[in-house]
Amino acid sequence: MPDRDFLGEFEQLVLLAVARLGGDGYGMSVRREIERRTGRAVSIGAVYATLDRLENKGYVASRTGAPTAERGGRAKRHFTVQPGGMRALRRTRRILTAMWKDLELGARTGSP
Amino acid sequence: MRFRPWFQSPGDRATPPRLAERLLSLTARSEDREVMAGDLAEEYATHVASDRGGMRATLWYWRQVLRSTVPNIVSRIRATHAQPDTQPEGDGWMLTLVQDLRYAARTMRRNLAFAALAIITLGLGIGATTIIYSVVDGIVLHPFPFPDPDRLVGVGPAFPKLGADVSYVEVLSPAEYKDVETQSRTLERVVAWDMGNRTLTDGDVPERLFSGFWWGNAFPTLGVPPAVGRGFLPEEITRGDKVAIISHRVWLRRFAGDSSVVGRTIGINGEPYTLVGVMPPRTLIYGTDLWMPMPVGPQVFPRNGRQFQILARLAPGATLESANAELELIARRVERQHGAEFPEYQGWRLVGNTWTDINVSEFRLAGLVLLGAVGFVLLLVCVNVASLLLARSAGRRREIAVRIALGAGRRRIVRQLLTESVALAGLGAVLGVVVAYWGTVSLAALMATLPVPVPGAIALNARVLGVAAVITVVSGILFGLAPAVHATRPDITGTLKAEASASTGSADRHRLQRAFVALEVALALVLLAGGGLLVNSFIRLQRVDPGFDAANVLAMRLTLARERYEGPAITAFFQQLSERVGSLPGVRSVAVGSQFPPITFLRRQFAIEGRPAATEGELPSAYLTLASDSYFRTLGVPLIRGRVPNERDTEETPLVVVINDVAARRYFPGSDPVGQRIRIGDRTIEIVGVVGTVKNVGLDRPAEPEIFGSVRQSAGMDNQLFLIVRTADEPRSLLPAIRREVRAMDAEQPIYLIQTVNEAFVSASGPRRAATMMLTMFAAFALILAAVGIYGVVSYSVSERTREIGLRMALGAQRSQVRTFVVRQAMLPVVIGGAVGLVGAITLGRVMSGMLFEVSGSDPATIGIVALVLALVALAASYVPARRASRLDPLVAIRD
Repeated sequence: MPDRDFLGEFEQLVLLAVARLGGDGYGMSVRREIERRTGRAVSIGAVYATLDRLENKGYVASRTGAPTAERGGRAKRHFTVQPGGMRALRRTRRILTAMWKDLELGARTGSP
Repeated sequence: MRFRPWFQSPGDRATPPRLAERLLSLTARSEDREVMAGDLAEEYATHVASDRGGMRATLWYWRQVLRSTVPNIVSRIRATHAQPDTQPEGDGWMLTLVQDLRYAARTMRRNLAFAALAIITLGLGIGATTIIYSVVDGIVLHPFPFPDPDRLVGVGPAFPKLGADVSYVEVLSPAEYKDVETQSRTLERVVAWDMGNRTLTDGDVPERLFSGFWWGNAFPTLGVPPAVGRGFLPEEITRGDKVAIISHRVWLRRFAGDSSVVGRTIGINGEPYTLVGVMPPRTLIYGTDLWMPMPVGPQVFPRNGRQFQILARLAPGATLESANAELELIARRVERQHGAEFPEYQGWRLVGNTWTDINVSEFRLAGLVLLGAVGFVLLLVCVNVASLLLARSAGRRREIAVRIALGAGRRRIVRQLLTESVALAGLGAVLGVVVAYWGTVSLAALMATLPVPVPGAIALNARVLGVAAVITVVSGILFGLAPAVHATRPDITGTLKAEASASTGSADRHRLQRAFVALEVALALVLLAGGGLLVNSFIRLQRVDPGFDAANVLAMRLTLARERYEGPAITAFFQQLSERVGSLPGVRSVAVGSQFPPITFLRRQFAIEGRPAATEGELPSAYLTLASDSYFRTLGVPLIRGRVPNERDTEETPLVVVINDVAARRYFPGSDPVGQRIRIGDRTIEIVGVVGTVKNVGLDRPAEPEIFGSVRQSAGMDNQLFLIVRTADEPRSLLPAIRREVRAMDAEQPIYLIQTVNEAFVSASGPRRAATMMLTMFAAFALILAAVGIYGVVSYSVSERTREIGLRMALGAQRSQVRTFVVRQAMLPVVIGGAVGLVGAITLGRVMSGMLFEVSGSDPATIGIVALVLALVALAASYVPARRASRLDPLVAIRD
């Protein structure tokens, strides 16, 4: 089943962000990482919806951290990429690379 | 002090806006709520701390929350689907509903046979209910498309002196219309019309159209505008102009719905009329397709020439009661003024009633009884499905117990089970609407073929579908509630432990199942008794002797145009036509008459010479029929005394009539009427004979007095007569030959109202026949449902008690004893239900008494027979599983 699972675009972004952040990924840092690197505004709700889905698929795991004062006494949920998630990322990159291979979209030929 | 907008909380600058936080926690999944708020709070703090300031931070926070709403809800729906029971209570009802529906679909897929059985039963029940409701809605509740139907009233008289109760059709004279129109303040837009037949001679085929002749413009009274063109103008009415309005259906049929026909000249009875308007659809008043102004004013008619009807609107502020109070004053005034000259005015009354009530009263009882009956059928369907659900709930008990143990609340599970049952009902409703669509289309087609127009239209309109939707939801809750409540009895540990033994909780369930059986039997008995009473009435009605030989008699009406036939020419036309048709092979006898039984025409009063005009008691009155000499021979009416008119009675000789036996006995008791003279209007007429009594107002009513005048002596007074033909064989086979003869005499002369006398009697009992057929169908359906219900419950209880039965047999019980034991247990609720049903049946019989004929509503024979039938069916339904039980191998039964 996971073999046939191709990651959606936003799933890829979130999973890659978690991977980049190492053990330090949580909702806010993931959101910021995506915004910083892609320049794309992302809502916290979308991030968590995707993280929940990835967790259900077994691609990420989460643990609850200690509450802090700056968070209004609320707990933090840390996310780490699981081996399954790594495989899914690699598979997706392979598929995309195969599709991009020898395709030249970059040349601006047709313009007057 | 810094500006603080409404969406920002006061106090600490690093505190995020509370309203936004609230919204976030409303939309987010419970697991994500805390961490998400924490993440946002943390980031909010950094925004506030940066040089961009609090205002921007707050806006950022709001944007985050708002943009998170959709992903939050989506992820919530996904989560709830994955785990049905872990949702805490008080979650969004929409989400719960989606989740419950998904679960219901899965449950149905798991047990397809059960779902199919339930859906088909429900579909038939909901479909039948919808059909009957559409009939009652279309004919009884909302038959007319006129706005404010409660304020559209007709006025009719009651003449106690003539023994005539209130009626509304062809009952008022022009003078009486004027009395009401000029004196009433509570009625406005009062119009009156007469009805007759005209031939549309436009185009190739002449067509006879039932027509209305109006004083006044009917459209403002009805409250509808013409579909095209206009209504009659006051001056057109006063002058009796040759202008015409046609019905929507004639417009579509003859003129292809072409709006430009308005203003054109059309031929009516060969004369040019200007078409000024088209009625909107369904505006037909008593089926009139053609409207024209009455050619003369009301003052032309005698005060007692009563052939008009009145339609009016209640004036603003007036009620039906106040209008009736005023009509009573008008009646008294007329009595004072004209009572001496017209004795029928003594004690007469004028009564207003809503147009709807006037026209649907004959259908109301039948309609409401059928609606009640179909409601019972639906209830039976619900009980049956409930019984099925209950039996199945035994199998689901463990599943439910597990869910309760895992923390699902009882209300939550009841709700889930109810969603399942309403979903079942919903699927049943889909089937039901298909059934109802088919049914209403067929019924509407059937209605279009009726010779007597029935008001209203049968269709699946929004109102009907709305009722069907309500029925569906209510029935879903009805049949789902008991099993759901039962299934969620707080007895989790017992069920979890003793799931296999099937003993825990089942006593309770068995009680409920037996109650269901009793209810089914009671409902079925009521329906069977209702059907039985109607069938019994119907059989008796078939056996009634009409007083003449009604078989093989064909009748058809011809209306000769006054423009082309006058006086003696009319008599001559019918005389010649009779001779031509009489010489056709296969024709036994031909007659001409103004009406034939069963008749609905108006009574005329008459005076008996030598007797003072009665001031006490009833004035003599009778149906007046114009007949040719051969009328009695053709219909097979026996002559009792004297003679019938013959060719020596001509326009030059004194007028003669024949009266029927009822008139002779009622008005000439103890004396011989033959040779006596009566006065009708200003003419003196001699009675020359008495003929046998015919059921002249329908088989279900006693015969009324009737006087037969001679067509030959009528001086062509009536240009509209029936040709009555007695044939050797199938009467309709002669129709083409008869048509040829009519065309040979006058190519423009249409014939209409073609029916056999038998058909006329049948259509007179049309509503009764339809009600009988439908109620019998419901009763049969009810019997099947009850049988299936009893069979299901008994076989289920046998299969559950296999071990007990095996034990009994191992201990020496005989097979016959086992059978008796099972059947006796099954029959107990049947007997209880039967007793309850008996009470219901007698109540129904009382309600239905107006629909019955020579059968008492509590007829012991009928009720006894249906009770016996039901008992036999119940016995058979429980005997089959009982026999299976008695064939059990005790060893196998105990081991299993």
